[in-house]
Amino acid sequence: MSDVPQNAGYMVAAYVVTAVILVAYAVSLYRRTNQS
Amino acid sequence: MSLTQKGRWITVVALGCLAAVYVRALAFTPLERLQGPAQKIFYLHVPAAIWTEAAMVLVGLAGIFYLFLKDPRLDRFAEASAEVGTVFATVVLTTGPIWGKPIWGTWWTWDARLTSTLLLFFLYVGYLLVRGAVRDAGLRARYAAVLGICGMCLVPFIHMSVYLFRTLHPQPIILKPSAPSLPSTMLATWLFSLATFTLLYVGFVTQRYALSLARDARGGGSPGHV
Repeated sequence: MSDVPQNAGYMVAAYVVTAVILVAYAVSLYRRTNQS
Repeated sequence: MSLTQKGRWITVVALGCLAAVYVRALAFTPLERLQGPAQKIFYLHVPAAIWTEAAMVLVGLAGIFYLFLKDPRLDRFAEASAEVGTVFATVVLTTGPIWGKPIWGTWWTWDARLTSTLLLFFLYVGYLLVRGAVRDAGLRARYAAVLGICGMCLVPFIHMSVYLFRTLHPQPIILKPSAPSLPSTMLATWLFSLATFTLLYVGFVTQRYALSLARDARGGGSPGHV
Protein backbone atom coordinates (compact mmCIF):
# COMPACT_ATOMS: atom_id res chain seq x y z
CA MET A 1 0.00 0.00 0.00
CA SER A 2 3.00 2.30 0.43
CA ASP A 3 3.16 3.10 -3.32
CA VAL A 4 -0.47 4.27 -3.46
CA PRO A 5 -0.58 8.09 -3.93
CA GLN A 6 -1.60 10.00 -0.82
CA ASN A 7 -4.22 12.35 -2.27
CA ALA A 8 -7.26 11.72 -0.07
CA GLY A 9 -7.66 15.48 0.49
CA TYR A 10 -8.68 15.98 -3.15
CA MET A 11 -11.22 13.16 -2.86
CA VAL A 12 -12.73 14.66 0.29
CA ALA A 13 -12.86 18.11 -1.34
CA ALA A 14 -14.70 16.75 -4.41
CA TYR A 15 -17.22 14.85 -2.30
CA VAL A 16 -17.89 17.88 -0.08
CA VAL A 17 -18.25 20.25 -3.06
CA THR A 18 -20.70 17.88 -4.79
CA ALA A 19 -22.82 17.51 -1.65
CA VAL A 20 -22.87 21.28 -1.12
CA ILE A 21 -23.96 21.99 -4.72
CA LEU A 22 -26.69 19.33 -4.81
CA VAL A 23 -28.10 20.02 -1.34
CA ALA A 24 -28.02 23.79 -1.97
CA TYR A 25 -30.03 23.33 -5.16
CA ALA A 26 -32.50 21.01 -3.40
CA VAL A 27 -32.98 23.64 -0.66
CA SER A 28 -33.34 26.38 -3.31
CA LEU A 29 -36.08 24.40 -5.05
CA TYR A 30 -37.83 23.71 -1.74
CA ARG A 31 -37.86 27.42 -0.86
CA ARG A 32 -38.98 28.52 -4.33
CA THR A 33 -41.82 25.99 -4.50
CA ASN A 34 -42.93 27.06 -1.01
CA GLN A 35 -43.08 30.69 -2.11
CA SER A 36 -45.01 29.96 -5.32
CA MET B 1 -50.28 14.16 -4.08
CA SER B 2 -49.29 17.27 -6.00
CA LEU B 3 -46.45 17.40 -8.55
CA THR B 4 -44.35 19.46 -6.13
CA GLN B 5 -44.79 16.88 -3.37
CA LYS B 6 -43.91 14.04 -5.75
CA GLY B 7 -40.76 15.90 -6.79
CA ARG B 8 -39.84 16.54 -3.16
CA TRP B 9 -40.24 12.87 -2.22
CA ILE B 10 -38.18 11.70 -5.18
CA THR B 11 -35.48 14.26 -4.27
CA VAL B 12 -35.45 13.16 -0.61
CA VAL B 13 -35.07 9.50 -1.66
CA ALA B 14 -32.36 10.48 -4.17
CA LEU B 15 -30.43 12.45 -1.54
CA GLY B 16 -30.67 9.42 0.77
CA CYS B 17 -29.29 7.26 -2.04
CA LEU B 18 -26.52 9.83 -2.56
CA ALA B 19 -25.52 9.41 1.09
CA ALA B 20 -25.46 5.63 0.52
CA VAL B 21 -23.30 6.16 -2.59
CA TYR B 22 -20.85 8.16 -0.43
CA VAL B 23 -20.67 5.35 2.14
CA ARG B 24 -20.28 2.64 -0.49
CA ALA B 25 -17.71 4.56 -2.55
CA LEU B 26 -15.60 5.76 0.38
CA ALA B 27 -15.76 2.75 2.69
CA PHE B 28 -16.63 -0.34 0.66
CA THR B 29 -15.07 0.20 -2.77
CA PRO B 30 -11.39 -0.70 -3.18
CA LEU B 31 -8.71 1.89 -3.89
CA GLU B 32 -7.29 2.13 -7.38
CA ARG B 33 -3.54 1.54 -6.94
CA LEU B 34 -2.18 4.01 -9.51
CA GLN B 35 -4.41 7.02 -8.78
CA GLY B 36 -5.09 6.42 -5.09
CA PRO B 37 -8.11 7.90 -3.27
CA ALA B 38 -8.56 10.66 -5.90
CA GLN B 39 -9.84 8.01 -8.34
CA LYS B 40 -13.01 7.79 -6.23
CA ILE B 41 -14.03 11.20 -7.61
CA PHE B 42 -14.92 9.12 -10.68
CA TYR B 43 -18.11 7.88 -8.92
CA LEU B 44 -19.49 11.43 -8.81
CA HIS B 45 -17.82 13.10 -11.78
CA VAL B 46 -18.86 10.65 -14.51
CA PRO B 47 -22.57 10.20 -13.57
CA ALA B 48 -22.85 14.00 -13.24
CA ALA B 49 -21.21 14.39 -16.67
CA ILE B 50 -23.59 11.86 -18.25
CA TRP B 51 -26.61 13.72 -16.89
CA THR B 52 -25.14 17.09 -17.87
CA GLU B 53 -25.07 15.88 -21.47
CA ALA B 54 -28.34 13.91 -21.31
CA ALA B 55 -30.17 16.92 -19.86
CA MET B 56 -29.05 19.08 -22.79
CA VAL B 57 -30.10 16.40 -25.30
CA LEU B 58 -33.55 16.39 -23.65
CA VAL B 59 -33.64 20.22 -23.78
CA GLY B 60 -32.85 20.04 -27.50
CA LEU B 61 -35.43 17.33 -28.21
CA ALA B 62 -38.07 19.25 -26.26
CA GLY B 63 -37.08 22.31 -28.31
CA ILE B 64 -37.53 20.50 -31.64
CA PHE B 65 -40.95 19.18 -30.64
CA TYR B 66 -41.93 22.58 -29.23
CA LEU B 67 -41.19 24.30 -32.55
CA PHE B 68 -43.61 21.92 -34.26
CA LEU B 69 -46.30 21.42 -31.62
CA LYS B 70 -46.18 24.71 -29.63
CA ASP B 71 -47.07 22.73 -26.52
CA PRO B 72 -46.16 24.79 -23.40
CA ARG B 73 -45.46 21.59 -21.45
CA LEU B 74 -42.44 20.97 -23.70
CA ASP B 75 -41.13 24.48 -23.02
CA ARG B 76 -41.60 24.02 -19.26
CA PHE B 77 -39.79 20.69 -19.37
CA ALA B 78 -36.90 22.18 -21.37
CA GLU B 79 -36.61 25.04 -18.87
CA ALA B 80 -36.53 22.59 -15.96
CA SER B 81 -34.06 20.26 -17.63
CA ALA B 82 -31.73 23.15 -18.51
CA GLU B 83 -31.64 24.44 -14.95
CA VAL B 84 -30.91 20.97 -13.54
CA GLY B 85 -28.33 20.39 -16.29
CA THR B 86 -26.58 23.60 -15.21
CA VAL B 87 -26.36 22.29 -11.64
CA PHE B 88 -24.87 18.99 -12.82
CA ALA B 89 -22.47 20.85 -15.13
CA THR B 90 -21.30 22.83 -12.10
CA VAL B 91 -20.58 19.52 -10.32
CA VAL B 92 -18.63 18.28 -13.36
CA LEU B 93 -16.60 21.48 -13.73
CA THR B 94 -15.65 21.55 -10.05
CA THR B 95 -14.94 17.85 -9.45
CA GLY B 96 -13.01 17.57 -12.75
CA PRO B 97 -10.23 20.04 -11.83
CA ILE B 98 -10.08 18.65 -8.26
CA TRP B 99 -9.47 15.21 -9.80
CA GLY B 100 -7.13 16.57 -12.48
CA LYS B 101 -4.73 18.34 -10.11
CA PRO B 102 -3.32 15.24 -8.35
CA ILE B 103 -3.44 13.03 -11.47
CA TRP B 104 -2.40 15.40 -14.29
CA GLY B 105 -0.53 17.94 -12.17
CA THR B 106 -2.76 20.78 -13.33
CA TRP B 107 -6.23 22.06 -12.45
CA TRP B 108 -7.15 22.83 -16.04
CA THR B 109 -5.94 22.37 -19.59
CA TRP B 110 -7.52 23.67 -22.78
CA ASP B 111 -7.97 20.29 -24.42
CA ALA B 112 -10.99 19.41 -26.54
CA ARG B 113 -13.01 17.57 -23.87
CA LEU B 114 -12.58 20.16 -21.13
CA THR B 115 -13.06 23.14 -23.42
CA SER B 116 -16.19 21.72 -25.06
CA THR B 117 -17.66 20.87 -21.65
CA LEU B 118 -17.01 24.44 -20.52
CA LEU B 119 -18.72 25.63 -23.72
CA LEU B 120 -21.73 23.45 -22.84
CA PHE B 121 -21.85 25.09 -19.40
CA PHE B 122 -21.81 28.54 -21.05
CA LEU B 123 -24.61 27.41 -23.38
CA TYR B 124 -26.64 26.36 -20.34
CA VAL B 125 -26.02 29.73 -18.69
CA GLY B 126 -26.84 31.53 -21.97
CA TYR B 127 -30.03 29.50 -22.29
CA LEU B 128 -31.17 30.52 -18.80
CA LEU B 129 -30.17 34.16 -19.41
CA VAL B 130 -32.20 34.25 -22.65
CA ARG B 131 -35.19 32.86 -20.79
CA GLY B 132 -34.80 35.54 -18.15
CA ALA B 133 -34.24 38.39 -20.62
CA VAL B 134 -37.09 37.91 -23.13
CA ARG B 135 -40.46 39.06 -21.79
CA ASP B 136 -42.67 37.78 -24.61
CA ALA B 137 -43.45 34.16 -23.67
CA GLY B 138 -43.85 32.84 -27.21
CA LEU B 139 -40.66 34.52 -28.41
CA ARG B 140 -38.78 33.35 -25.33
CA ALA B 141 -39.84 29.74 -25.91
CA ARG B 142 -38.76 29.90 -29.58
CA TYR B 143 -35.36 31.48 -28.83
CA ALA B 144 -34.78 28.99 -26.03
CA ALA B 145 -35.77 26.06 -28.28
CA VAL B 146 -33.22 27.10 -30.91
CA LEU B 147 -30.50 27.54 -28.29
CA GLY B 148 -31.39 24.14 -26.80
CA ILE B 149 -31.07 22.50 -30.22
CA CYS B 150 -27.61 24.11 -30.64
CA GLY B 151 -26.62 22.72 -27.23
CA MET B 152 -27.88 19.27 -28.18
CA CYS B 153 -25.71 19.34 -31.32
CA LEU B 154 -22.65 20.01 -29.14
CA VAL B 155 -23.15 16.86 -27.02
CA PRO B 156 -21.97 14.22 -29.57
CA PHE B 157 -18.89 16.36 -30.21
CA ILE B 158 -18.10 16.41 -26.47
CA HIS B 159 -18.42 12.63 -26.26
CA MET B 160 -16.31 12.03 -29.40
CA SER B 161 -13.71 14.72 -28.62
CA VAL B 162 -11.42 12.25 -26.83
CA TYR B 163 -11.32 10.11 -30.00
CA LEU B 164 -11.06 13.00 -32.48
CA PHE B 165 -8.27 14.92 -30.72
CA ARG B 166 -5.24 14.17 -28.60
CA THR B 167 -6.50 15.07 -25.15
CA LEU B 168 -5.22 14.84 -21.59
CA HIS B 169 -8.70 13.66 -20.61
CA PRO B 170 -8.87 9.85 -20.73
CA GLN B 171 -11.10 7.92 -23.11
CA PRO B 172 -14.30 6.38 -21.70
CA ILE B 173 -13.86 3.17 -19.71
CA ILE B 174 -17.58 2.43 -19.46
CA LEU B 175 -19.51 4.17 -22.26
CA LYS B 176 -17.62 2.55 -25.14
CA PRO B 177 -18.36 -0.16 -27.72
CA SER B 178 -16.44 -2.88 -25.82
CA ALA B 179 -17.12 -4.13 -22.29
CA PRO B 180 -16.36 -1.75 -19.36
CA SER B 181 -12.73 -1.98 -18.25
CA LEU B 182 -13.51 -1.76 -14.55
CA PRO B 183 -13.56 -4.37 -11.74
CA SER B 184 -17.07 -5.52 -10.84
CA THR B 185 -17.02 -3.91 -7.36
CA MET B 186 -16.14 -0.52 -8.83
CA LEU B 187 -18.65 -0.96 -11.65
CA ALA B 188 -21.42 -1.75 -9.13
CA THR B 189 -20.64 1.43 -7.16
CA TRP B 190 -20.60 3.47 -10.35
CA LEU B 191 -23.94 2.01 -11.53
CA PHE B 192 -25.47 2.76 -8.12
CA SER B 193 -24.22 6.34 -8.42
CA LEU B 194 -25.58 6.65 -11.96
CA ALA B 195 -29.00 5.43 -10.76
CA THR B 196 -28.85 7.98 -7.92
CA PHE B 197 -28.02 10.85 -10.26
CA THR B 198 -30.87 9.71 -12.52
CA LEU B 199 -33.25 9.85 -9.54
CA LEU B 200 -31.86 13.28 -8.59
CA TYR B 201 -32.49 14.51 -12.13
CA VAL B 202 -36.09 13.24 -12.05
CA GLY B 203 -36.75 14.73 -8.60
CA PHE B 204 -35.21 18.11 -9.44
CA VAL B 205 -36.92 18.37 -12.85
CA THR B 206 -40.30 17.40 -11.37
CA GLN B 207 -40.04 20.17 -8.76
CA ARG B 208 -38.74 22.71 -11.26
CA TYR B 209 -41.52 21.81 -13.70
CA ALA B 210 -44.10 22.28 -10.93
CA LEU B 211 -42.60 25.70 -10.24
CA SER B 212 -43.05 26.75 -13.89
CA LEU B 213 -46.55 25.29 -13.89
CA ALA B 214 -47.50 27.40 -10.86
CA ARG B 215 -46.01 30.51 -12.53
CA ASP B 216 -47.95 29.84 -15.73
CA ALA B 217 -51.15 29.21 -13.78
CA ARG B 218 -50.79 32.73 -12.37
CA GLY B 219 -50.55 33.94 -15.97
CA GLY B 220 -46.86 34.72 -15.64
CA GLY B 221 -45.50 33.61 -18.94
CA SER B 222 -46.71 30.40 -20.51
CA PRO B 223 -46.09 30.53 -24.27
CA GLY B 224 -49.55 28.97 -24.61
CA HIS B 225 -51.10 32.12 -23.17
CA VAL B 226 -49.76 34.44 -25.87
